[in-house]
Amino acid sequence: MKMHTTTLMAALAVALGATAAHAQSCEIKVGAMGPMSGGAAQWGLAMSGAAELAAAEVNAVGGIEIGGKKCKVVIVPYDSKYTADGAAAGANAFASQDIHVIVGPVGSPEATGIKPVAARNQQLAWNAAYAKNALEPKFPLMFHIAPAPAVWADPMIKQVLKTFPMKSVALVAPNDQAGTDIVAVDAEKYRANGIQTTEEYYQRGTTNFAPIVTRLLAAKPDVIDTASSPPGDAGVIVKQLRLAGFAGPIGRLGGPGTEEIIRVAGGIDVLKDFFWYETVATGDPKVQEIDALYRKFLGKDPVGGTALWGNLPAARMTMKAIAAAGTAEDAVKIAEAMRKLPVEDPNMGKGYWTGGKQYGIAQELHFPFGVGIIKDGKNLGVTRMEAHPD
Amino acid sequence: MEQFLQATIIGVSLGTQYALLALGFTLIFGILGVVNFSHGGFYMLGGYVAYACVAHAGLPYPLAVLVAILATGALGWVFELLLIERLVDDHLATLMLTLGLYLVMSTAMLEIFGPLSMDFRFPVTGALRAGPIYAPLENLVVLGVCLIAILGLWLILFRTDLGRALRALADDRSVAMAQGLRPKILFPAAFALATGLAGLTGALVTPILSLSPGVADPVLATSFLTVILGGLGSLGGAALAAFIVGIVEAYSSVYFGGSIGALVLFVLVLLLLVFRPQGLLGREIRGA
Repeated sequence: MKMHTTTLMAALAVALGATAAHAQSCEIKVGAMGPMSGGAAQWGLAMSGAAELAAAEVNAVGGIEIGGKKCKVVIVPYDSKYTADGAAAGANAFASQDIHVIVGPVGSPEATGIKPVAARNQQLAWNAAYAKNALEPKFPLMFHIAPAPAVWADPMIKQVLKTFPMKSVALVAPNDQAGTDIVAVDAEKYRANGIQTTEEYYQRGTTNFAPIVTRLLAAKPDVIDTASSPPGDAGVIVKQLRLAGFAGPIGRLGGPGTEEIIRVAGGIDVLKDFFWYETVATGDPKVQEIDALYRKFLGKDPVGGTALWGNLPAARMTMKAIAAAGTAEDAVKIAEAMRKLPVEDPNMGKGYWTGGKQYGIAQELHFPFGVGIIKDGKNLGVTRMEAHPD
Repeated sequence: MEQFLQATIIGVSLGTQYALLALGFTLIFGILGVVNFSHGGFYMLGGYVAYACVAHAGLPYPLAVLVAILATGALGWVFELLLIERLVDDHLATLMLTLGLYLVMSTAMLEIFGPLSMDFRFPVTGALRAGPIYAPLENLVVLGVCLIAILGLWLILFRTDLGRALRALADDRSVAMAQGLRPKILFPAAFALATGLAGLTGALVTPILSLSPGVADPVLATSFLTVILGGLGSLGGAALAAFIVGIVEAYSSVYFGGSIGALVLFVLVLLLLVFRPQGLLGREIRGA
């Protein structure tokens, strides 16, 4: 009996100790979502990496103050696989962990999947989609990481024409919303610059693009644009285009991922003449410092290439909004605080809240962006293009 | 005409790769009665083993391909011997086991090599050209190796005692066992042969296309589609269907585009399932 009592006392002491420890600890969970496997993995890893860096920065100064306590931010990643169902399942998985703030997802299918589910779960989320409905007034908890081609395609085409004059372009992309929405806008902007366009689509999951390449070449275009094809797919397309004898420039009025494209295609010499869009001005040394910051705070090399740089301002704004709202659970309050924040980033400089004109809701971050050029197998760097308000 | 010839070259090239994959897939089903959901995983593993041998061990590519065949064959052997063998007649259990193995393999590759594509290049580059028609040299090399492998498999199955034993087990296991054939030796051998073929295909094809943990999914889908078309368990049917799938995929994608091209294949399989459910060369096991 004595032993039994002693055991009970010990158990009680352990339980009380655990409760006290729990009361002292304060942790904020923030979700990070995007494709972390497959051809678009680089974009999802960039999203997760940006969230981790933003969290590490605030944790380094003691965390975010909520209710008089400093709380450590923990990032919970989720692989939404660049699919609508993956993103919807991710939002529900986060809700089951009481996570109300999500950095991500990335693409249009994911944005389509997460919007209604996150709205139902009262979760604030970002997306980097180029879909025509990436933002909608009926989903006020959704924010946009960077503008879509409707904003930057025209100035980009004008910049590219200085290096690669062209009369015709063939655009190729997946046949889902992520591809068709972007190609429609890109094609419209090319035509506005007096360039003839043809469009070609493929089923997502295609591994061998030789038949698509045959169709692309049949149109005899001056330039081929891989638009929003995931970097892994774009790399194979570039490789097979060059094998088929296409010698013209290949471009990309779509997401970043040039490192992955170079790796899959077989080297920068294979790309030869290439141009691409960067969500931020990656040639700016201040922007490039982000990699050193990542190593300093997280003790490892960043993964995700320049897309991580582009996602970082959104992740940092999220931390600021949580701090300003004084809650990590009330997404409506966090969204209200977010809208009032000035668009400033230590690495990107000054930006704007845009999107009002295009989507009817000004919840899109717009910082200076970049246009990269590779000419004769030499990387000529990324030209900075200034951001403008709506 | 140019497009027709180019599509034919692409179709034959695709068909050969599909044949190697489908033969392994159908070999396992025909002999063991197991639907191997890890088949795409062995393709992926073959690619990664060859990549590791070239990039990290500094082996020449042909030797790396050989190591990939042996490694995937050995893993298939061990997997069959230790796990499948115990539950070989339980279709649901073997389905879950092979699916589980695939998840373990893809997660392991994700952890070891990361999610991004590897810088894995085929040692031969360039193309044979005749005007606008071209045939990539790397595809020709793969075509040659695949045809040799298919011939080798045919010789093993139809000209050796091992092949006769395997075919006997596929025809009627209980009668074959009564004749003294030992499934405990022959089943792992069949499994190893099939996974080695998948590993060979992965080692040959991934440097031409791309190598990342996600490459296995479409492979499994194509293998499944091919063997259903050819008739589950039929080696001749799988080979015939692989070339049909390759040619149809190439022609339909070239003439109708990537979206309709993918649809045409599924419509073809759907029609076949309606009018000839046992597949092109499959046997009818049970009447409707």
